[in-house]
Amino acid sequence: MTPSAPAAVAAPAVRLAGITKRFGDTTAVHPVTLEIGQNEFFSILGPSGCGKTTLMRMITGFETPTDGSIELAGSSVDGVPTRKRDLNMLFQSYALFPHLTVFENVAFELRVRKAPKRELRSRVEAALNLVRLGHLADRKPDQLSGGQRQRVALARAVVSRPAVVLLDEPLGALDQQLRKEMQIELKRMQREVGITFIYVTHDQEEALTMSDRIAVMSQGRLLQVGSPQDIYDRPASTFVAAFIGSCNVIPAVNTGAPGTVTVAGVGPVPAVGGDAALSGAEVWVAVRPERVAASAVRTPGAAQGTLLEAVYIGDRWRYVVRLGEATVTASVDSAEVSPELAALAPGAPVWLSWRPEHARVLTE
Amino acid sequence: MDRVVAWIARLVFVFLYVPIVAVIVYSFNASRSTSTWGGVSLQWYGELFRDGALLQTLRTSLIVGISAAFLATLIGFLAALGLSRYRLRGHRFVLGAVLLPLIVPEIVLGAALLSVFSFADIRLSIFTMVLGHLVITLPLATLILMGALSSLDPTLPEAAADLGASPWQTFTRVLFPLTRSALLAAFLLSFTTSFSNIVISTFTGGVGSTTLPLRVYSLLKTGVTPEINALGALLILLTIGIVSAVGLRQMRRILAGSTPTP
Repeated sequence: MTPSAPAAVAAPAVRLAGITKRFGDTTAVHPVTLEIGQNEFFSILGPSGCGKTTLMRMITGFETPTDGSIELAGSSVDGVPTRKRDLNMLFQSYALFPHLTVFENVAFELRVRKAPKRELRSRVEAALNLVRLGHLADRKPDQLSGGQRQRVALARAVVSRPAVVLLDEPLGALDQQLRKEMQIELKRMQREVGITFIYVTHDQEEALTMSDRIAVMSQGRLLQVGSPQDIYDRPASTFVAAFIGSCNVIPAVNTGAPGTVTVAGVGPVPAVGGDAALSGAEVWVAVRPERVAASAVRTPGAAQGTLLEAVYIGDRWRYVVRLGEATVTASVDSAEVSPELAALAPGAPVWLSWRPEHARVLTE
Repeated sequence: MDRVVAWIARLVFVFLYVPIVAVIVYSFNASRSTSTWGGVSLQWYGELFRDGALLQTLRTSLIVGISAAFLATLIGFLAALGLSRYRLRGHRFVLGAVLLPLIVPEIVLGAALLSVFSFADIRLSIFTMVLGHLVITLPLATLILMGALSSLDPTLPEAAADLGASPWQTFTRVLFPLTRSALLAAFLLSFTTSFSNIVISTFTGGVGSTTLPLRVYSLLKTGVTPEINALGALLILLTIGIVSAVGLRQMRRILAGSTPTP
């Protein structure tokens, strides 16, 4: 089901067992238990202040967990200082050493760890070639563009072939165009060097594009871990549903009938997963706008609503519909919009439907 | 109006440099009296180097100045590192406590130090004088180094640790090269502050720890001898030497409190 979940043969690159961080009375990270596989591109996704950076800083060793234990490649690193952990970090600010050239920045770790002189030059050059900056080795960081600095920082992080590289919102400072390019580049490099990447971001699109698996965090809690498809198609909570992409979250009541829940003012609508909730419990139905079909004529099994707004955005039409007490958006491929549907004006009745497997019943 | 301002500026300049020029000129005066010009002579330089007592006080001043400046720079660097890197509780209090001696009158500090030393039954010596000078140089050094460190990217030491550097390697490979000119500035400013100090020296110095300023000051009772002028001229020469060695550009950067990008 999770295609990239690692095989259990080798020890996971990172194993977190009940990792917790409290600052005084506030809990920044509630107990997190998690395994990250070798060579996995793993994203920690959440809004700012959700605890993802603190979680990452505990893995690097910059912060000491209040509770819990961390293993890297099967051995505990509790109490092991950062410099002795087989991982490197790509800082949001890049943290390049301003007094050193690009070459010396990349060579820093090899020099500190006393790598053989003969190897040093070839390894640094290989790392710079990986990020396609071999020709800028003699520049100082302040003579580079933002994108170039980012690449130097990446070369510096991978030159010693650590088991894990942690990336802290590395694309945050770049413009839109460069971000898209770097997303593809990062993924390529990760595959080429075969290093576990732990990618911390608040950008759900970035996480969906690059990750093998994603962990969604909010308010210090780990809400869901899964492949991008898992997270997108089978969100475990209303927060995850709403945070990743856009999603209709419709309040409903679980009537106990299998395969349906009841939406006030509408009646039963199809949805799966209701068996997890008690009969009579208040639940939510999460359904993606692109999974909602809209029709201008009555269709069997469809719920009737009132059109509030129809917006044309080129390849798609977006229909905002009042359904009982909820507002539901349907995003319909322009090629599939019937002439009757296209002719609808606000206030007209419209029938919405979706396949049961595309609607999830959520209890929180 | 502009002409008036220009003339005032010139006068200020003259006022600033007259004493310096006078010292140098009189150091070559063959006459013992400053009121008469007896021709050019190097005899006072000769007498200076034969005046064992005076040279001894110079030695004391150098020892005290270098020790106090070294300690102030070292402790100031650590204090600045702590104050700029960690937002601890009581941060403002600690900072205030470090900087307080800058505004407390020296005479109060001197008297306080003396009573502390005598209460703790510590004999006054070069050692107590270095401690006394440390009290007034540490705030200066800390202030200069805090300026330099706070303009550094705070993630640089973390990046160094992440790349396997020990705290010592982080200092030698990252922090030191990036704060070298501020460290030099802190050392030099601490040294000159110590070297020219009279008040604290008076209170904290013991037998055999007479510094040069104390010696010169006591000579005032009998009148300034021309060899003091020779000594002054040499010290001015030394200062100019340091300034040109450090470089004017560097000096300006140091005094502006910014960090270098070498």
